[in-house]
Amino acid sequence: MTSAGTPPEWTVRGERGAMPLLKFIVWVALRLGRPAARLFLYPICLYFLIFSGRPRLASRRYLARVLGRRPGAADVFRHYHAFASCILDRVFFLNDGLHRFDVQVQGEDVVMDILERGSGCILLGAHFGSFEVARALGRRQPGLRVTLVMYEENARKIRSALNAINPDLAMDVVGLGKPGAMIEVDQRLEEGHFVGILADRSLDGEERARYPFLGAPAAFPSGPFRMAALLKRPVVLMFGAYRGGRRYDVHFERLTDLSEAAPCGVRDDIDKAMSRYVERLEHHCREAPFNWFNFFDFWA
Amino acid sequence: MSEQNSQNHDEATLARLIVITLNLEVQAAEIDPDAPLFDEGLGLDSIDMLEVALVVSKEFGVKLRANDKSNHEIFASLRSLSRYIQQNRAG
Repeated sequence: MTSAGTPPEWTVRGERGAMPLLKFIVWVALRLGRPAARLFLYPICLYFLIFSGRPRLASRRYLARVLGRRPGAADVFRHYHAFASCILDRVFFLNDGLHRFDVQVQGEDVVMDILERGSGCILLGAHFGSFEVARALGRRQPGLRVTLVMYEENARKIRSALNAINPDLAMDVVGLGKPGAMIEVDQRLEEGHFVGILADRSLDGEERARYPFLGAPAAFPSGPFRMAALLKRPVVLMFGAYRGGRRYDVHFERLTDLSEAAPCGVRDDIDKAMSRYVERLEHHCREAPFNWFNFFDFWA
Repeated sequence: MSEQNSQNHDEATLARLIVITLNLEVQAAEIDPDAPLFDEGLGLDSIDMLEVALVVSKEFGVKLRANDKSNHEIFASLRSLSRYIQQNRAG
């Protein structure tokens, strides 16, 4: 259930802090290209390293867990730099620039299988690496259409940013702020779309459940999984890890098929799917630790 | 509850259906037909709305489409949703 209470920390702080940065990087990237834009990432990250108190603390807390040691300033800098790189590359992914990158895909058969059946699926991602790389792959693969579901506030910002880059893509975003949002998602699935949602952040008052994540329980929203159970679609995990330079490793994994969930077993199925999601998220965080982009106290 | 806020027959049927489907703690008869369903009011989220749309389609054969411009009006209250269903029911 949604509530009209105060917005959680990440909707206010995280996004507000990153927006001017995002706009500036987009501006540089479109005018001067990727190598020039990447030069700007160093001073930008240094600036944030010095002046961003709470994100820096959040980064250190996360890094301490995932690296299993006390992180230094260089680790936090590397974390910020990976984040900024992914934001920058998003511009090129959205602008038909996939050929600039070395993208390794694992589990492409999972995607092909669903494409052949034309059934659509729920593509669960996280604030991890680049989700846009999946959309770029989508446009290389004829017939694969990806729609993103996100909170209305973010959807509005992303739409306006997308309009500047590639207006066609602004259509592929569904905001959660209206009553018909899920009905729209249902329609898109029926048309065979892959419906992407980042399942690692929730709004205040939204139903969530705690699962062990990197050594301590953390709250994850159950909405995306309720949605999958209700829509009776296959659920595929998507993680696009940034590996430095021009390299991205994209993983597709079949999470579960909630399409056969028995009505009385739905709760159990949702619980199993969520616990599996968190397990896989942890696995990918350990494989590519600097790709986790939740700069707030996730375990609060 | 005042007179004009009481449910008519169709609204009462729909209210019971919504309460059962979503397993709500509120009594069906207590739902104010003019109060918003979404967010404040009954407090339903968009996933709840999808469940309502699915059950409405099953029970009444009325499909609720997302791109309807009138979507906000249809989902505004129990009364407006019930009216929409009655107007679009087959037969």
